[in-house]
Amino acid sequence: MSRAAQMSELAVLQAVRLKGRVSRDDLAATVGENRFDVIDRLVGSGLLLDGPTLRLSPAGRGRLDGLLADERSHLDAAAVLAAYDEFHSVNAEFKALVTDWQLKDGQPNTHADIGYDAAVLARLDDVHRRVTPTIAVAAAQLPRLNRYSVKLQTALDNIHAGETMWLARPLIDSYHTVWFELHEELILAAGRTRETDDA
Amino acid sequence: MSTRPVILLDGDASSPPEVLGHKGHGIDMMRGNGLPVPPAFCITAEVGARYRAEPEATVNAIWDDVLAGMRTLEAATSRTFGRGPHPLLVSVRSGAAVSMPGMMDTLLDLGFRDDVENALATEGSAEFARDSRRRFTESYQRIVTGPAPDDPYQQLRAAIEAVFASWDSPRAVAYRSHHGLDDRGGTAVVVQAMVFGNINANSGAGVVFSRNPMTGANEEFGEWLPGGQGDDVVSGTVDVEPIAALHSRQPGVYDQLISAARSLERLSADVQEIEFTIQDGTLWLLQTRAAKRSAQAAVRLALQLLDDGLIDEAETLRRVAPAHVEALLQPSLQPENRLAARLLATGLPAGPGIASGRAYTEVDAAIEAADRGEDVILVRNHTSPDDIHGMLVARGIVTETGGATSHAAVVSRELGRAAVVGCGSGVAESLAGKVVTVDGNQGEVREGSLRLSAWSEDNTPELRELADIARRVSPLRAHVRGDYPRLDRHTEADVRSALASGHSDVVSASPLLAMLAAIRLSGVS
Repeated sequence: MSRAAQMSELAVLQAVRLKGRVSRDDLAATVGENRFDVIDRLVGSGLLLDGPTLRLSPAGRGRLDGLLADERSHLDAAAVLAAYDEFHSVNAEFKALVTDWQLKDGQPNTHADIGYDAAVLARLDDVHRRVTPTIAVAAAQLPRLNRYSVKLQTALDNIHAGETMWLARPLIDSYHTVWFELHEELILAAGRTRETDDA
Repeated sequence: MSTRPVILLDGDASSPPEVLGHKGHGIDMMRGNGLPVPPAFCITAEVGARYRAEPEATVNAIWDDVLAGMRTLEAATSRTFGRGPHPLLVSVRSGAAVSMPGMMDTLLDLGFRDDVENALATEGSAEFARDSRRRFTESYQRIVTGPAPDDPYQQLRAAIEAVFASWDSPRAVAYRSHHGLDDRGGTAVVVQAMVFGNINANSGAGVVFSRNPMTGANEEFGEWLPGGQGDDVVSGTVDVEPIAALHSRQPGVYDQLISAARSLERLSADVQEIEFTIQDGTLWLLQTRAAKRSAQAAVRLALQLLDDGLIDEAETLRRVAPAHVEALLQPSLQPENRLAARLLATGLPAGPGIASGRAYTEVDAAIEAADRGEDVILVRNHTSPDDIHGMLVARGIVTETGGATSHAAVVSRELGRAAVVGCGSGVAESLAGKVVTVDGNQGEVREGSLRLSAWSEDNTPELRELADIARRVSPLRAHVRGDYPRLDRHTEADVRSALASGHSDVVSASPLLAMLAAIRLSGVS
């Protein structure tokens, strides 16, 4: 298999792992470009389980682990670790602002206070400015991570257009969904585990 | 300067909470009524306000008064600050007129140096002296931020300044701004002689309520920790005992405590929450304040206090906020049902709401159970994005690790799921397979499927009784039926316009809420 084919297989399998279960259309959208052919091939070879949503089969998980290990063996661990540390420093602020978006004085935010909401979203712009170069550093090692910059930017554009569900809604590639998947990628690439990280 | 900067809280301070702070005022009130309270003085809120403009000069100007205050505590306790053979330790508390978050935590056991520890070891025990010093060193480091100086007077000064400065902490500023509280002013500081719940087995610390603040039952309620100090009880990290356990251990002290609680309740005409310490079999009261209470308790306690003749009918209605009644009309877990069910886990309340179901620890198993029509509670060590399908089918979510901003917390709120996070390791294993109720308001997981129920204005005796009282007090009498104009809604605007049209009687679907609004509008006293 060519390196390019391997990379697109890795991108698809990893997207399914991160999302757990995902429809064909959502999967094609999240990996970008037109990868229906790759998806079909992975279903055909039994690495993905078909149904209303796609899932990894045990063989698919094995294949993904192999591809990830191969990918890690080619990268500069120190550079990834530096990117991971950078990410960590902005992660707390991002999680705090999402919480402030959802809760105001400990109560669900009714979004009646426009000034409050605007102040929270202004913090998101700052977070975005800080995280973008960090992703670039990591993507110099793992080019497929560039996709996360694109997805974060798309979510941010939607939020700026007034569709604030793109901040935290699960199941769509909202800022929080993408952020968390990126966090998982960096934990993995830096050779850390959830247990050594914070939840 | 309109008042003295330092005021002795000997029961004769005769100054309002705006000057003494609510803690200082409570201490003075207790001492004035002959209750056992360790001697204390306060630095007034006025000094706290001046400190904000001129920190150094303000503290310099009052320092002689603070020293004179310390001399008084020394004389009252026959102990000496900073040296043996009977050293005096003090606590330093913040005390604004209104209690607010972000103010400095209480600092206990201040006044240590090596020879003080030695003297306390001789007086009590080496273990007691060491334990107290460790508490001081750790809490000073955490609260005042920085290592404690060796000189006890420098410790005192730094602690006082830290209290004053905490008035401008971001949390306190945000709280005042949100609640429309005056941002000028400042906080008072209370300095009080320490008593020791950690001195021996015949000692301890706790908090007691004059009536149950959750159910509103007319029974004493509280908890205490044998051999502990006050911060242990508040921290929630140690297993405390119910107050009834004190009854069997030290019946005399218990009776004295309950009688003090009742007497403070009569004096303040409200249910009290009292911090106490028992030092070698002697009871000391440290602080009293109006108890925080549930909506159920707010209604029941107001009616009881009326029955007991402590408040009049108008005050009874003021004690019940419309928000209390509105909350009671929504289905909720009634406190008496909640407390009767076994507590299986506690954590941070991360997603409001109550949900019951069987606990599953694997996403696939949770999805299969939900497909069979089961109510599912998902319990995980933590959640990550690939758990989302398990969270979607779950009615409630519980995690072992993670805080209020964790993935589980954010996603649960987004999905509207009841969630309790950070319950500690082992919880997934212990809950697996059990039918549980997740209380995302209290941060608890309890055994069984607990039923939710709502009060109603028609059928709940307490609300009917309140409505009867309201019809005697309110300028607008609202009835369930009758030949009167109809009030469609009970908003302030609707009630105001009904009053303006000269109606004295109306028919309303929520008579009590309409009358509470009318009473608040007209300021009936």
